[in-house]
Amino acid sequence: MADLLKESPLRAIQVEALVVMKIIKHSSQAFPTTATGSLVGMDVNGTLQVTNSFPFPTVDIPTTDGHQDSASNLAAAAPRAKANAAYQNEMIKFLREVNVDANNVGWYTSTSMGNFVNANTIENQFFYQKEMNERTVALVHDVSRSSQGSLSLRAFRLSPSFMVAYKEGKFTTENLQKSGLRYQDILVELPLTIHNSHLLTSLLHQLPSDAPKEELPFPPNLVALQQDPNTPQPPLYPNFDSLDLSIDPFLEKTCDLLLESIENHHTELNNHQYYQRSLGREQAKITAWQQKRKAENAARAAAKQPPLPEDEWQRLFKLPQEPSRLEVLLNSRQVEQYARQVDGFTASVSTKMFAVKSNLLPGE
Amino acid sequence: MSERDSFLHLARPLGPAPIGAQPSTAPLSVVIQPQAIFSILDHSLRRPQDQDRVIGTLLGSRSEDGTEIEIRNCYAVPHTETAEQVEVDMDYQKQMLALHLRANPREVLVGWYATSSELNTFSALIQNFYGQQGDGTWPHPAVHLTVSTVPGQEIEARTYISAPIGVTAERAADSCLFIPVPYEIKYGEAEKSGLELISSAKDREDRTQGIITDIESLERAVQHVLDMLERVSNYVNNVLDEEASPSSALGQFLMNALSLAPKVDPADIERDFNAHIQDVLVVSYLANTIRTQIDLSNRLATAALTLGTGDALTGTGEGGGREGGERQKGGERRGGKGRQQRTVEA
Repeated sequence: MADLLKESPLRAIQVEALVVMKIIKHSSQAFPTTATGSLVGMDVNGTLQVTNSFPFPTVDIPTTDGHQDSASNLAAAAPRAKANAAYQNEMIKFLREVNVDANNVGWYTSTSMGNFVNANTIENQFFYQKEMNERTVALVHDVSRSSQGSLSLRAFRLSPSFMVAYKEGKFTTENLQKSGLRYQDILVELPLTIHNSHLLTSLLHQLPSDAPKEELPFPPNLVALQQDPNTPQPPLYPNFDSLDLSIDPFLEKTCDLLLESIENHHTELNNHQYYQRSLGREQAKITAWQQKRKAENAARAAAKQPPLPEDEWQRLFKLPQEPSRLEVLLNSRQVEQYARQVDGFTASVSTKMFAVKSNLLPGE
Repeated sequence: MSERDSFLHLARPLGPAPIGAQPSTAPLSVVIQPQAIFSILDHSLRRPQDQDRVIGTLLGSRSEDGTEIEIRNCYAVPHTETAEQVEVDMDYQKQMLALHLRANPREVLVGWYATSSELNTFSALIQNFYGQQGDGTWPHPAVHLTVSTVPGQEIEARTYISAPIGVTAERAADSCLFIPVPYEIKYGEAEKSGLELISSAKDREDRTQGIITDIESLERAVQHVLDMLERVSNYVNNVLDEEASPSSALGQFLMNALSLAPKVDPADIERDFNAHIQDVLVVSYLANTIRTQIDLSNRLATAALTLGTGDALTGTGEGGGREGGERQKGGERRGGKGRQQRTVEA
């Protein structure tokens, strides 16, 4: 049975509405600090059902500007912290008593403008997939994007090839060539659906949504119309917030982040160039030394003396360590993420602009 | 739901309370966040088969004077109920509370919930437990939230606080007077997008909904607005054809709405529109160029080596790296320019 389960890969993630609300609440409360928590649920024939979640405890640090970064880092590293593993086990033990599906199926994190592809995320997910259970998932909730319109909640896993590479911990050029690992292959996104229970569906049908269908009496005057209890509340769905025209701040923010990533990329490239140069220098030195030794040996051979060993250079010279390419890979993945995000923004902003134009200039 | 019920608090009920320990029973209002309700409903679905109702603890915040309570979170507490006695796992309640407070230090214990609207002796017993001194909510009253989950009937929520009442001293522990208090379900801005998605699944047979993209939600919103406009223009046409009865209030309202349209010179619109759309498209173009450059840079960094044999290793590798770097700089420069341009024109 266990073998059978292992063979079928995870195909989709199904998130219970309760979990969505819990993640949103925790993330928006903690914003702009990163919020992380644990997911519980079960795995049904390749579909991972996430049925409950709970936040990780936060370390109480006064949130002054200077400390915000460290608090954020602590929160981001929380899923793999030892104390939290204990907390998680205890919580799951308690949840089992009230019939919650008490299997750890992953963790969630909050982010801002898709800025989540970093070493922390990778390390957390690696920790989960390696230590806990292979079939775990990371849910990423984007607070900034959700505030602007539709909910942004995505599910990610590390690809098997990346798991192997990360386990070895070697991200040299040579290794990457051998494994053929590309930055697109680091994270695998899984399709995610939201699921409501019957009771919840029933509750949602009770909430006010649509305009009343039956004929209503006419209001006697304007004030009565504005106070009419039959006037429907703006419905939850569709969300008219997505008609908001101010999208530029988001575009600008993404551009800033994109530039930041490019700078990182540039720094990494410089590191590599530095490495290449020092490697070249060392190799030139080695070659010079080898030639000198050869010449010496030739002279000694002519003088009928025993030759000196020719592999002594391995002791004398030390080749520089190649810097890890992991940072470059992650950065590239992040840039790709931003670029796609910009594409998405552009699509909706140009639609809205054309709509506004044809509204203000009718007949064209 | 009982949102439209009105509540009137006439007087404090008098009860034989211990001296100096009279808890406040001042009227208060309760705000419930949707995730607490969701959690209660989930718990109700997961109740043991032989149990009619399940209970749990409510967490939230209380305003300083104690007149406003916000229920933000809750967790289930196992309990067993028979005709003669009720047993609540106090130990579980205490430990779970400690665990929750570690994650949410700002939330406090505010009361408890049950998943049936029935109030009985056991309710009073549990209510007194939650409202007691020490571990309970004392000196504030404990809030009791009932959410009925009877199949085939509407889900009905009620909130109560209690006052001590007792016929005799022995029965003081298991009797109290439940006073209904008004409540509201409120959601914040951040939760709106989540609720939108959740409620979009309410009319679907399988009760599931995939994540929709921004452009899709835009399409749906536009469609909805168009439908509403259609409805209004239908009505106006009918009035003009003398088929529907006119209303001066509606007419005024529509006129007010129409007068909100800004008066702008067509040439200005044309110019602003073109400038803006160009900016947006340039940003998109640059973002995609950058993506391609990064891809190229990565490929060059790893693929250059396959061109030659081992001896050429250093030379080509370096060349690849440098080339990538230069291209990268180009992308950055252009990206920066694009941004400048945009901020100038925006």
